[in-house]
Amino acid sequence: MERIVVTGLGVVSSIGVGSRPFWEGLLAGRCGISDVRSFDTSQYSVRRGGEIHDFDARDYLDDLEPDQYGRAAQFALVAAKLALSDAGLEGAALAEAGGVCMGTTSGEPNLVERFNDAFVADDIDGIGPEFMALYPCHNIAGFVASRFGLTGVNPMMVPAACAAGNYAIANAFDRLRAGEAEVMLAGGSDAFSRITYTGFARLLAIAPDFCRPFDKNRKGMIPGEGAAFLALEPLARARARGAPIYAEIAGYGLSCDAHHMTASHPKGDGAARAMRAALDQCGMNPEDVDYISAHGTGTRSNDLNETTAVKSVFGEAAYDAPISSIKSMLGHTMGAASAMEAAMCALAVHEDRVPPTMHLEEADPACDLDYVPNAAREMTVNAAMSNAYAFGGANASLIMKKFAG
Amino acid sequence: MPRSVVVTGMGVVSPLGFRLEALFDRLCAGESALAPIAGFDPKGLSGAIGGEIADLNPAVYLGKKNYRPLNRAGLLSVIGAQFALERAGLDEESGDEREIGLVLGTMFCSVNTIASFDRTALVEGVKYAKPLTFANTVINAAAGQTAIWRRLRGLNSTVAAGATSGVQALAQALGFIRGGRADILAAGGVEEFCFESFLGFHRFGLLAGADGDTPRPAPFGPGRNGFALSEGSAFLVLEGEESARSRGAAPLAEVLGSGSGYDASRGADRRQAVAASARVMRRALETAGLAPDDLDCVCVAASGLPDQDAFEAEALAEVFGPAGAPVMAIKGLLGEALGASGAFQAAALIQAMRTSRLPGAPGSDPPDPALPELDLSAQTRELPMRFGLVNALGFDGGCCAMVFGLPGEAP
Repeated sequence: MERIVVTGLGVVSSIGVGSRPFWEGLLAGRCGISDVRSFDTSQYSVRRGGEIHDFDARDYLDDLEPDQYGRAAQFALVAAKLALSDAGLEGAALAEAGGVCMGTTSGEPNLVERFNDAFVADDIDGIGPEFMALYPCHNIAGFVASRFGLTGVNPMMVPAACAAGNYAIANAFDRLRAGEAEVMLAGGSDAFSRITYTGFARLLAIAPDFCRPFDKNRKGMIPGEGAAFLALEPLARARARGAPIYAEIAGYGLSCDAHHMTASHPKGDGAARAMRAALDQCGMNPEDVDYISAHGTGTRSNDLNETTAVKSVFGEAAYDAPISSIKSMLGHTMGAASAMEAAMCALAVHEDRVPPTMHLEEADPACDLDYVPNAAREMTVNAAMSNAYAFGGANASLIMKKFAG
Repeated sequence: MPRSVVVTGMGVVSPLGFRLEALFDRLCAGESALAPIAGFDPKGLSGAIGGEIADLNPAVYLGKKNYRPLNRAGLLSVIGAQFALERAGLDEESGDEREIGLVLGTMFCSVNTIASFDRTALVEGVKYAKPLTFANTVINAAAGQTAIWRRLRGLNSTVAAGATSGVQALAQALGFIRGGRADILAAGGVEEFCFESFLGFHRFGLLAGADGDTPRPAPFGPGRNGFALSEGSAFLVLEGEESARSRGAAPLAEVLGSGSGYDASRGADRRQAVAASARVMRRALETAGLAPDDLDCVCVAASGLPDQDAFEAEALAEVFGPAGAPVMAIKGLLGEALGASGAFQAAALIQAMRTSRLPGAPGSDPPDPALPELDLSAQTRELPMRFGLVNALGFDGGCCAMVFGLPGEAP
């Protein structure tokens, strides 16, 4: 079987644009949470969000016309450019050798908001062709494929909500192994929106100040936004062109709770089956995993169910595998979250450092693992597992290995 | 040799019937699903026709279980998946006994639900927006609801690739089974017909009659002026051949190969669009181990779009030669069901192969004389067919094709 490696990373986040600012921000415990600016929050009892302020795609793609794209597509186009550039593939004329697969939760919800602003004002003439040109989420992947000339596969979205980034990487991994493309850009993108904010507010899931995963005084998640892409290619190709190699994708596991639309299984059943499937595919034992990137949203049910699931799979080894949540810094970036977390894991195995869970001040006795509280850690990371769980019960676990030649 | 993958179940919910046999008989009889829109107020816009499912009574199919948490896309998906799983001999307990997964194609899932949720917050206030409705705004909501309803605990993937979503979902399911990721997957597509997509496509200029002219959504037809939207769901149960054999499930068809690609000009450049579509059909044939001459039928994407239908006709001529393979065009009768279309095409094609009947395309015969010659008839034909190809094209450059064969005919 062809080995698949990560040769480029591109990240657009509330703590920095570019994989270096993102990574250094994570290691420094930088927090991207602030008061929401993009809409009026006076009707809500909360007002914090992980928005990317003052983003201008033209800072990175100077000929881009922002009006021609929704916000999630602009994030995606910039993240794709950064990943290709990082991989030394910008302008490489990949054409049929290249492909795109990405995840999202809601695509371009801002376009629905614009539609509704006109609709409720009884002005349907104010709804023009841009709604259908920009809203359907597969266009985000299509815009990336067109811009960078990646025509080898049908550019598509795998909108598995908050696990979408991992589902996209899994799909890209399979396509590369099946020989359908030689380079895949895999990632995810989501834009901050009043729709998403309203939804989580109505679920009473949004924290009033900070996201504190695994803390006894946690108060919930915080919606965020951003995009991340990983450039993936077969090892032989990466070697032949002398590409930098961050990490190897060892494998993945997918499952579904088939339990509840918005709540995870109380025993972490589906989450555990996804982790086991990933370990099985990689021929690894729990002891081989040095670090776990938690889904770690900061809600009580996620904290407890995820901890239970990890213990059920890892047994005693759970106490030896540090597990942290970067959502403590970025908030929950939805369809981009697991793509960002995968980018982080690639850097963790590459540099033998892991980011902290910030704002973890008072440990919850029910959450007794090593959550890397409040300070990054230097440690050998030969293998990292990244977990992601979604609305609708979709679960995805991805394993990255240190590339050792 | 890649693992052999077979179709052990099929199910549809369509404006032409709630069973594949009913849909297929009506297609063969030349019945049209298209009628003036009744399900929502089209606000006086022109071209207000479509293929609506008027008689969706969930209790008939879902019994006494509480289906209130399901929106329209969720209902269409749950019922269609149930039909397909039952046809495959998989009942409600099967999901507990084994990990059955789901791969669902959709363009929007529910743009109506996400818009309605936001409108409630806008008009009545944030505190009136319902959490239950929010759960159905995400694009994988129908896949999640279907998994909950049928205890589908295996992988749960939603594929959004515009009008190619249905076939792309089947192709992804094929890859998962061949790669050893799953033994049994319900795979297909779902789309609902709603005001938001109707208005959107009207403004975007793709709807037949959007300019005030008489709607003529005839695939390859002379004077065609766009598509008519429709809705529904279609599923195939895809299964590793050895899994089907061990359960004693008889294969209805075999999945032989697939291909996908992209026209980076997004339909703006004729040459690129034709080349991408031809390349993808050839790739699907190659992966199936077939030559163009082996093919007995192509179930086409054509929906009445002036340019895209022409691109497809040219791509067909390039791959199969002039009038090279009999053409089955169902969207003239059924409408354009977006994310469900490709799955409808696949189910109808397999039914055509199994019954040796190729549904005619009234309204498309004779085809536009400006197009390359097509083997297309208004009349339903008796025709033995062993191998067929489903072709899917997005309105924005996406291409996906898939090849099926009757059981035991694999090259």
